[in-house]
Amino acid sequence: MVDTAVAETAIGREPRRRVPRLNVLTGVVCGLILAGAGWGVSSWLLSAGDYGADRVVSITMVCWAVGFLVGVGALAGPIRWLLGRDLSVADEHVLAGKDQGVGRYFRFTTDHKVVGVQYLVLSMTLFGVGGLLAMLIRTQLIRPGARFVSPQTYNTIVGMHGIIMIIGTIIMVSGPFGNFILPIMIGARDMAFPRLNALSFWLICAAVPVLLATFFFGGIPTGWSVYAPLSDQAPAGMDCFLITIIIFAISSGIAGVNITTTAVKMRARGMTWTRTPIFVFGTVSSVALGVIAFPMFMAAMVLEGLNRTTGTVFYDAAHGGSAWLYAHLFWLMGHPEVYVILLPAFAAVLELTPVFARKPLFSFLGAVTGIAGIIGLSMFVWAHHMFISGWAPALDGPFMLTTELISIPTGLLILVLLGTLWRGTVWMRLPVMATFAMLWNFIIGGITGIYLSDVPVDQAMHGSMFVTAHFHFTLMGGALTGFAGALAYWFPKMTGRMLDERLGMIGFWIIQIGFNVTFLGMFAVGLAGQPRRVADYPSLFATGNLVSSIGAYIIGSGALIYLYAVVHSWRHGRRAPGNPWGAKTLEWQVPTPVPLENFTVLPVVTSDFYGYGEGGSAAPTPAPRRIAAPVPSGAAATTQEGGTA
Amino acid sequence: MTDTLTTAPADAPGGPPTVPAWKRAPIAPILGIFVVLCALLTPFALFVPAHLMGDAASAHMRGIESTVTAFSLASVPVAALVWAVTIYSIIGWRHRGSEPPAEEAPPLRGNTVVQVVWLVLSSVLCLFLLIWGLAVLRPTPSAASAGQPLMVEVTGQQWTWSFGYPDNGNATADRLVLPVNQPVQFRVTSKDVIHSFWIVQMGVKVDANPGETTLASVTPDRIGTFDIRCAELCGLYHAYMQTTVQVVSADQFASWVQAQPRATS
Amino acid sequence: MRAFVGVAGTLLGGAVAVALAGTVLAHATTAPHQLRAQVSGTASTPQGELPHAFLELDTWPDSMAGEHGPSGGSHPDWVSYGPASSLSVPAHSLVTVTIRQYDTGGELNNDFFGTVRGTVDGTATVDGRAVTQVDPTEVGHTFTIHAIPSSQDPLFVSVPLPAVADDAPVLDNGYPAPHVITFSFITGGPGSYVWQCEYPCGDGTYANFGGPMSAQGYMEGTLTVG
Ligand SMILES: [Cu+2]
Ligand SMILES: [Cu+2]
Ligand SMILES: [Cu+2]
Repeated sequence: MVDTAVAETAIGREPRRRVPRLNVLTGVVCGLILAGAGWGVSSWLLSAGDYGADRVVSITMVCWAVGFLVGVGALAGPIRWLLGRDLSVADEHVLAGKDQGVGRYFRFTTDHKVVGVQYLVLSMTLFGVGGLLAMLIRTQLIRPGARFVSPQTYNTIVGMHGIIMIIGTIIMVSGPFGNFILPIMIGARDMAFPRLNALSFWLICAAVPVLLATFFFGGIPTGWSVYAPLSDQAPAGMDCFLITIIIFAISSGIAGVNITTTAVKMRARGMTWTRTPIFVFGTVSSVALGVIAFPMFMAAMVLEGLNRTTGTVFYDAAHGGSAWLYAHLFWLMGHPEVYVILLPAFAAVLELTPVFARKPLFSFLGAVTGIAGIIGLSMFVWAHHMFISGWAPALDGPFMLTTELISIPTGLLILVLLGTLWRGTVWMRLPVMATFAMLWNFIIGGITGIYLSDVPVDQAMHGSMFVTAHFHFTLMGGALTGFAGALAYWFPKMTGRMLDERLGMIGFWIIQIGFNVTFLGMFAVGLAGQPRRVADYPSLFATGNLVSSIGAYIIGSGALIYLYAVVHSWRHGRRAPGNPWGAKTLEWQVPTPVPLENFTVLPVVTSDFYGYGEGGSAAPTPAPRRIAAPVPSGAAATTQEGGTA
Repeated sequence: MTDTLTTAPADAPGGPPTVPAWKRAPIAPILGIFVVLCALLTPFALFVPAHLMGDAASAHMRGIESTVTAFSLASVPVAALVWAVTIYSIIGWRHRGSEPPAEEAPPLRGNTVVQVVWLVLSSVLCLFLLIWGLAVLRPTPSAASAGQPLMVEVTGQQWTWSFGYPDNGNATADRLVLPVNQPVQFRVTSKDVIHSFWIVQMGVKVDANPGETTLASVTPDRIGTFDIRCAELCGLYHAYMQTTVQVVSADQFASWVQAQPRATS
Repeated sequence: MRAFVGVAGTLLGGAVAVALAGTVLAHATTAPHQLRAQVSGTASTPQGELPHAFLELDTWPDSMAGEHGPSGGSHPDWVSYGPASSLSVPAHSLVTVTIRQYDTGGELNNDFFGTVRGTVDGTATVDGRAVTQVDPTEVGHTFTIHAIPSSQDPLFVSVPLPAVADDAPVLDNGYPAPHVITFSFITGGPGSYVWQCEYPCGDGTYANFGGPMSAQGYMEGTLTVG
């Protein structure tokens, strides 16, 4: 009787909170319990024989991941649906973290803005760990004969640095900004699949401890490319590694489908493809490419897992398998993956450059064509990583052609950046520094890439430090620099505070200087013939390596300063207005902090968002203008008219 | 701002004679930076990469070094152009202050001529790279016609190289000795994981794959001692999987190979 | 000022994190024991009168008699060298190595390592008998020294250690009666080298080269000349 009364009044007042709000702690506890159970059962039943240890480790790791996801509440929706009581609107609000304060960042929260911030913190954490490992690598190589860590540990550090940075850079733009900014940018209230959105984030969180466990199970001797059959030989750390990749591939597939669907189906009324901001193109093409690419790596890892736990011989030539099968699967992912990392960062720079040059994007069509050309070609170049493998020398020519063709659409993107700067009024703020740094670094990365695309030159360079320096120039000098700019650009919208400009500038340029020192030194030793991934080297490479190591410490210092600027500004920075840059895209027209449903009234779009300098009534032919959405903040309207008053 | 207003209708009839947009652009200073950059980068491209790659010990490696130099030279104007515009935009077009500048820059939304020229130029450069690469890649007929090459069996195994001379009574050795100016064919394989057989100063690199035999050939043309390294991460002692190749006269080779232990089988 | 303190603190924190992680990882693998060759007298060699150094090693079918202690450490069942894996020998000397080989074995995957290489005269003695090669199907382990040759004197020594027969008599220490292999090589100038086994004895792993074959302190170690 009493119970009924309480229930009735509760319904009468406000919807009862019915979805359990678990958090990351319950996830860890549940994951550990299930992992313990999995470990107990599997070591009781399966630990005998050559594959025993691998079976036990694999099962334990999978159990951890499943337990963590259950414990964090990722399966609340499906479970309720199976029980026949699907989530109500009120439940969805609870899941979206409505009125839950800071706690919502530690929970399975579906609000895309929360997921974006979570991704941001995660990718910066990964950069911290990966950067720390980079410091250890450079400490080992500071002089020849140094035996700071054993070659065993060194190989593991190299592989872990690689994979942590790869995961970190893959998620660094499409994770934080693709989730937080992109839906607002296209005038949507949330992502297409909010629960999948949260799932994609928590899957990576489940995978990170598995990845770090690699250190405790003998490590990996293979680097992050885990070439077979060396991976067949590796200790149980390899099982942790491949389960990480499988989980990450699932996560990136989910995120890719989600972001793609959102951008295709949920753009505001009037936002035709030609009016869609270029950042949306870059992010969508990147994640869609990821949806095609990562299953290759996942398949490679599943086969490897079978090799290790059941004794199959997919990559073992002595028993009818082929090591080249692995190399193909890996590079079918590996080359597109470069563009999965690069494109959203490049697109973010394309997005912010017009804002600071106060000019329209130079040739929107050129930018879209460039992105599309890169995406299209990127799937037909993978065998340039196998020029010297002996797999098919007759195909060297065709793959050299496709690889070199990529320089054409890439060059187009460079032209778009230059054209946008051309005769602009470049407002020297922190975000646009990324444009300049990227133009510098990316040219070096691109030119050295052309050497490597040439088959004879590749015979001298392949597997040398030259390759390492080259891809760091594209992925770090290009993509990571773009991320630093994008972070500075969208930081006010995401955190409500301005990023400390002075410290940010100091950190940013120290990173850039250190970066160029490090990798120009590495180019030198690469040309001179130092193989990559070596724990020791002859003393004839001593100078170049010393330069590289000093440069690396400079990067480390700059990165820490930038990190301090971010963390300090996040907590104590100056409060940001709704549209501090006077930008025209939709995310700047909503108030800061962004309300739960982004827009009270959904906007209608009548032009693109690059009409800088075109807005004046004095213009002879009226430039297409966007009708301002009825948004609560007035900050936007003034800057829109501002240019030609 | 007023500037934009007065110059915007550039082709307005009856107005004062207007200057085409490109002439109002700071072409001269950008060109100046471009020339300075070219002057700095050209000697760099000419000498630095080839110098770092060291003295070649085969015609093939000399081809690689001249390719690197040629590609470096071809990319000098590209890099100089991009960097000239970048540097000028930092110096000449900058605006400081805490407020967004007025939108007085010309709203260029593309320029067909520039884009077409850019595309054509990059395609021509691309074609140049491809043709050059294919030309260097083509096996030189002289090497093929110079008679029977010396056969050398190269076996990679974690973490050592071993060499066999099937034409010389199955002599075996832990380092390579080759006669000068004699074409050599390497038959490369691996006993376990993938290694990569790399003779640094001869530009020879081919993977040693388990269960496969891959081929590489070269004609060493300089007497001296050169480096052999493994170029594919192959486990614990990958860094130590190195040895040397000694290029000697034909006579010295003949007496050396006589003294080597034979394969047991 | 506040920003300065904050930045300095962050930099310090970063340095501490790197140092901490480095220290932990540098000690992650059990620190190998050192073994110095004992110099006693001189010997006449093809390269003249040189100091004569002696080194004694064992190869065990498990890890309970060597540097991992009687409990065998984390992998008591792995084959191992003993008593230590980090060796040092004097430069420009004749080094005589004696290895007691207690392990059974089988066939090499590369007959190349069935031949004695890089020793004085290209010979070794097995139980007092001079040999230049052994039966490649009856090898227990090999002792193979190699290096990064550029900028230090090349050194390549490889000696096959014949396998103990399965029915060999068992000694008081629980191991079969060993083969005793002796060989000598001449060192050049100072340098760092590594040594390893080339008989694939990492049972149950791909190409039998995982496990003890891929871990320092078991079938691998370092050799410092200086
Ligand atoms: Cu690639
Ligand atoms: Cu190797
Ligand atoms: Cu062994």
